[in-house]
Amino acid sequence: MRLFLIVCGLFIATKSFSQSDTTITLQAITGLQYDLVRIAVKPLQKVTIILKNEDDMAHNLVFTKPGKRLSVVEAAIKMGDKGQAANYVPESEDVLAASKILIPNTTQTFTFMAPSAEGSYPYVCTYPGHGYVMYGALYVTTKPLPPLATDPNIPPSRQNTEIIVSSPHPFALEYPLLYRTFMPDCSPAAIAVALTSTHSYCFDAGKCYLRYAWAGGFVDNTAHWKGNGNAFAKIQGNIYFKDNVTYPLRVGKVDKLPDVSFKGYTLANRLPTFNYALDGVEVKETLKSLANEEGLTRVFTFVKPTTQILYFVTKADDGITYKSSVGKWQNGTLTIPKGTSKVTLTMNRNKAQAPPAAAHNH
Amino acid sequence: MKKHSSFSHIVSFLFVGYLLFGSFNDCFAQRDTITNYYETEQIKLPKGLRAETGGMDFMPDGRLVACFHLGEVMTYNPKTKTWKKFAEGLHDPLGVVAVSNSEILVVQRPEMTRIKDTNADGVADVYETITDDFGMSGNYHEFAFGPLKDQEGNLFMALNVASNGAGIRPEIRGQYDSLSREGRMYSCVPYRGWVMKYNVKTQKLEPYASGFRSPNGLGFDAKGRLFVSDNQGDWRGTSPLYHVEKGKFYGHVASLIWKEGFPRVKPLSLPVAQLDSMRTRESIAFPHTEIAHSPTQPLLDNTGGKFGPFAGQLFIGEMDYPRLVRLLMEEVNGQLQGACVAFGDGTGLLKGNNRLVFDKNGDLWVGHNDHGWVGDEGLSRIHWKGKVPLDIMAMNLTTEGFELTFSLPVDPKIASNPELYKFQRYYYKYHQPYGSPKTDVADVAIKELTVSPDGRKVAFKLAELKAGYVYDLKMGELQTPDGKLLMNRAVFYTLNQLKK
Repeated sequence: MRLFLIVCGLFIATKSFSQSDTTITLQAITGLQYDLVRIAVKPLQKVTIILKNEDDMAHNLVFTKPGKRLSVVEAAIKMGDKGQAANYVPESEDVLAASKILIPNTTQTFTFMAPSAEGSYPYVCTYPGHGYVMYGALYVTTKPLPPLATDPNIPPSRQNTEIIVSSPHPFALEYPLLYRTFMPDCSPAAIAVALTSTHSYCFDAGKCYLRYAWAGGFVDNTAHWKGNGNAFAKIQGNIYFKDNVTYPLRVGKVDKLPDVSFKGYTLANRLPTFNYALDGVEVKETLKSLANEEGLTRVFTFVKPTTQILYFVTKADDGITYKSSVGKWQNGTLTIPKGTSKVTLTMNRNKAQAPPAAAHNH
Repeated sequence: MKKHSSFSHIVSFLFVGYLLFGSFNDCFAQRDTITNYYETEQIKLPKGLRAETGGMDFMPDGRLVACFHLGEVMTYNPKTKTWKKFAEGLHDPLGVVAVSNSEILVVQRPEMTRIKDTNADGVADVYETITDDFGMSGNYHEFAFGPLKDQEGNLFMALNVASNGAGIRPEIRGQYDSLSREGRMYSCVPYRGWVMKYNVKTQKLEPYASGFRSPNGLGFDAKGRLFVSDNQGDWRGTSPLYHVEKGKFYGHVASLIWKEGFPRVKPLSLPVAQLDSMRTRESIAFPHTEIAHSPTQPLLDNTGGKFGPFAGQLFIGEMDYPRLVRLLMEEVNGQLQGACVAFGDGTGLLKGNNRLVFDKNGDLWVGHNDHGWVGDEGLSRIHWKGKVPLDIMAMNLTTEGFELTFSLPVDPKIASNPELYKFQRYYYKYHQPYGSPKTDVADVAIKELTVSPDGRKVAFKLAELKAGYVYDLKMGELQTPDGKLLMNRAVFYTLNQLKK
């Protein structure tokens, strides 16, 4: 059953990132922008757009031929008084597909066929005044996308933030971000943490250890939050690490699982440090993202210098190369000597396991 | 004949009223309604808040602190009408207690948590697990309620059983036991279906009382006695309110498997008569659809009269109807039992009245919820306008019947008419199926009716009085000599103990 869930979780994660998914939810959000600035589809693919206007102004969504965004925007402005009735969509061969003008809190779904020619097709809000800043790029391609930071087809203000998720809360989402929720392949006392909007991990507050980590997004709690709450949070992205030993840290004996007790967590600039005890040894653990999401560092601080040898047990097939600031590795097991107060463990994703370049900015 | 006398009375009253007050409108054309006494205001919510309210309390500085289904804890300053985030990321928090202006206690699904702002930036940075020493199967129905703080600082919480509408997770927390899995609601990890007490001295979570199903509401009465509500369902013929004492069993059988010394038998295999003899009955049964469908949090009116004439009584929230319920309890043969009567009907209150708290001014704040259930979202404030309505203050059992006490004198001429009162009795079966119809329903004749000389009390001697029944009294339009109308004309007394 547990294995089944792991497989299932990966399947879901893969599915939501696959290009075979032609339904794309795009939201107009505060600040004259769409939540997604890039969408990738294959040539001649049928694309269904669910456009939601989550902003408090009216917006539309117009797909144009490559390089035609500004000319379409200006043609829309020239429509003047007649524009409103025509949803500010000018009659032009340069327009591929368009929505109506959506007032706030409304949704429109429409479908069109992606062009056969590969290229970057702008999408833009042609409501007068919006189109100079409110746009993105539909990539019709089977190849990886150019780096976001230097992509000339998206607004400069969005070249840093791959994902802007509209907040389900009465405050903006800030990262790191944490939810206690129901997570797959974890005890029911699970904590999902996003270090950034695209790098996340699951800490098991019942069993007191890092269960898995993923890149590409955080969690979608929508299904869990509605209805009776039986649904798991949905992982958005690809899991790149899963702890495949029952419990990594051992006290005194390498083959004995410790009794664990969760004590809570503290936040420093929103970054959580977990407090827990294993066989009476009080531990504080902070997880951080390595540069370029290449893995995690885990800083273990022992409230009192250790009086027994500690072991950190890993298995070879978890896709991670471990390094430690303290102790010696032998056959995947780190021996942490007595008297240790702090261990920094670096978990580098093995290059072979690195995911393909993200082609779909969900 | 009766009609005629009433009519002539009304005519004479009209005339007197006209003479006394001069204005027809003041005294009669506008019917006396609850809005003359109480008003309800909806609190403006911050943009983006899904106000499924799980808990509410007031901080010492007068700010409301409330937690919501999506894990937020927000503060609201009633003076400036500003909302601020205090904490986030919690798992379905269903109760909050303010400790100070920077510290709260919360019960969320996996644990009871102390949440503190230690760097004075207004947002919490410490989330300490007070206790997570109870099981979770991961079943959605395993809600956790509380905390409720007693005078010594002990913290009570209550743990739902799981629902057979869903299974359990591959990974669970706590020791698994399948002994009660066959029921509609089951308890497969400790201590689902229990009220728990976190002992502040030993810092341990102790099992306190068993037999609960969905105990969405804990509160103390004026004497510090613990009351816990539950919801109609299996082993719940109708929704009850229990006076909860240590070690007792309150009827829902699944939780029995975690009782110390309980034999290794499936609770469902035990005869109902045996289970019935083991259980402690509810102090108040809320007749289903008559007054409540899903009672929530009991709250003592400790306002000393700032909220009207009901100081010292308990109110309880109700999910399905736009009302609260007021409880009229008394001790008979050492046990608490009593009556319930509606409160707030017609004040503009919403449904989904999940959480209640009084502010320092004596206004009653109501946190609404509609999560997975009938209800509404939002927050409301009920304010007493200063005048006393005509309402039922007490319903006391006598050796041969009941005595009602009113908040104002009733007109004896009207009140002495026995045709204005209709007693019925019935009971709800204690059994495994979901809910129970009214059973053994019978009208009960009034043998004798007495109105006290001051008009404050009406006493009934009934043809028959039997323990184990709800006595349902529906009344006609009683009124005071100056025309104030009785606000609630239905009252339901749970008779467990006859007066010796």
